[in-house]
Amino acid sequence: MIALPLPDKALATAVRELPDNALAANREAALARFLERGFPTTRLEDWKYTDLSAVADISQRWLENGAPTPSAAAIDDRIAAVRGAIDVDWIIICNGAITHSEEGAGSAGLSIATFSELAHVPGFDHPLADLNAALLPDGLHIRVAANTTHERPLGLLVVDGADAQPGVAQARIRIELEEGAQAQFVEYHTSIGDSDHYANSVVELSLATGAAADYVRIQSRDRNHTQTHRTAIRLEASSTIRYSGFDLGGRLIRNDLDIDIAGKEATALVGGLYIADDGQHIDNHIRIDHRVGPARSIQEYRGILGGRCRCVWNGKALVQAGADGTDAEQSNHNLLLSDRAEIDAKPELEIYADEVKCSHGTTVGQLDDAALFYLRSRGLDQQAARRMLTRAFGASIVTHSPVAIAADHLSEMVEQRISRLADGEQA
Amino acid sequence: MLEIKDLKASTGDTPILNGLSLSVKAGEVHAIMGPNGSGKSTLAQVIAGHEDYVVTGGSVTYKGEDLLELEPEERAREGIFLGFQYPVEIPGVNNAYLLKAALNARRKHQGKDEVDAFEFLKLAKEKMALLGMDPKFLNRGVNEGFSGGEKKRNEILQMAMLEPELAILDETDSGLDIDALKAVAQGVNALRSPDRAIVLVTHYQRLLDYVEPDVVHVLSGGRILRSGDKSLALELEEKGYDWVREAATA
Repeated sequence: MIALPLPDKALATAVRELPDNALAANREAALARFLERGFPTTRLEDWKYTDLSAVADISQRWLENGAPTPSAAAIDDRIAAVRGAIDVDWIIICNGAITHSEEGAGSAGLSIATFSELAHVPGFDHPLADLNAALLPDGLHIRVAANTTHERPLGLLVVDGADAQPGVAQARIRIELEEGAQAQFVEYHTSIGDSDHYANSVVELSLATGAAADYVRIQSRDRNHTQTHRTAIRLEASSTIRYSGFDLGGRLIRNDLDIDIAGKEATALVGGLYIADDGQHIDNHIRIDHRVGPARSIQEYRGILGGRCRCVWNGKALVQAGADGTDAEQSNHNLLLSDRAEIDAKPELEIYADEVKCSHGTTVGQLDDAALFYLRSRGLDQQAARRMLTRAFGASIVTHSPVAIAADHLSEMVEQRISRLADGEQA
Repeated sequence: MLEIKDLKASTGDTPILNGLSLSVKAGEVHAIMGPNGSGKSTLAQVIAGHEDYVVTGGSVTYKGEDLLELEPEERAREGIFLGFQYPVEIPGVNNAYLLKAALNARRKHQGKDEVDAFEFLKLAKEKMALLGMDPKFLNRGVNEGFSGGEKKRNEILQMAMLEPELAILDETDSGLDIDALKAVAQGVNALRSPDRAIVLVTHYQRLLDYVEPDVVHVLSGGRILRSGDKSLALELEEKGYDWVREAATA
């Protein structure tokens, strides 16, 4: 079997019960495509280590219940907590529904609308994007006008709740930065509720010539919940993306980050930190397609793994024929705090151009005994020493995170996770 | 202050210390000299509590207590400081952060108030000036990218901040240029007091030109072969270690 199917009729009914808007016809087309292929399975090279059976199972149970819109009583508290933690203008996608009443609408150069308002039809290139387009009530569209700088970072909060029964929710965001536009974004995924939940999201980011975006993605979903997330970034000439992804929660998480270098002198600086312990599976797939050169991409990911968990890192740089002057670096370093933690790390370089500078490095290691002894010999107890070294391992990713306003909250969350992991593994 | 009796220690199956005895009183500076592989560094590591070395016999008492019962961090809080021969680089841990954590761990143990960021910075800058260290070292990762000399100065800075009762400096003088050597010596001399003891583990007599020891010991084959005053160091420099070994076996 190369696909995990969903029940056709129940899925079709769920699609037809969505609000009738400009997306309706497209949903049907997307549904047909998804039904042909189903969820990807571990038979596919890209999905070798990540089994979506659990995701298919949650979806099936959700469909059997009549595909209700998920909910959780405490969701407003969670939204308030995120608002309180990071001071940006938030647009909220709550259980799949978009609310954008108070964001910086007054700001010159920034336009925010829904797909249905713009009659924008989401494209699709992957079964998960098809499923997203089929079940999407509406999408969020953001445009930053040419040669404007949007000073205040924009927050995109995707929040889901599943109190009583299994839930499934879609989110889709398209961001366009016109020529020379500049903006900062915080994309935040969180969820609550004791029932199973599957969130499927797609973000498209397009940077026109000379545009620049700083982007932080934070994922701190409930430890019971699952997510598949696709981000596609297109870079035109001389545009720059600085992107950091932080995965701190979730049971089964799969992130795909695809960057299309379509213009010369474009720069993609991407990084991430994933922290996992007992029962978590976090998979990051990055693919940077250097279609033209000169251009530069750097991937720098780190993972901290404790308990019985599994993480996957697959970073690919593809340098197409003629993309001379490409400079592509990849690094992935992993700290294993437990002998039951597993990392599958794979850097990939595929080069068809002649004049390129490419490098990659992957390491998997444990806390350094010599460093632990050094710290203890200075009076720090074992716990404090372990925490200090674990924190230090992730420090470079946290400090280089591109959106300053999110830094404090991020450090705090990372610190909390690290303290638990470092303590939990002591003999 | 420190009483070592018939100490035996091994790493893996290899015995390194073979019945070493040493008595260090408060106010004294001892120099332990010896050829490579004689057990100098092992002695320093055993006193600090390194797990790779297993004590197979003998005893070590510190301030009247059984030192071998204590964890490395407890030894540090009780006032023992080991200056490492090879200080560990710890990228991502800020030098100032470690210094402050170490200082406050010791102060807490002593029943003193922890220092705040302001007091800490003032104290650290004062000590750094004394050692001729650029304050920018505070904001770098612990020993990260430091030259050999900078690492050793950083060890002395930690010692100056922590004000230990028993400082053991393991080849702190090796690989230093003359300026760094003088700075290290100055740091050690500044710490000399009737309440403290200092043990200098060294291969060469050079440091002893700047820090005058009360007692010099010669270590070989995991035992102290000979002890004397500072003239012993000069004699060693002149005649070499074979002279002591021959004299001992004769």
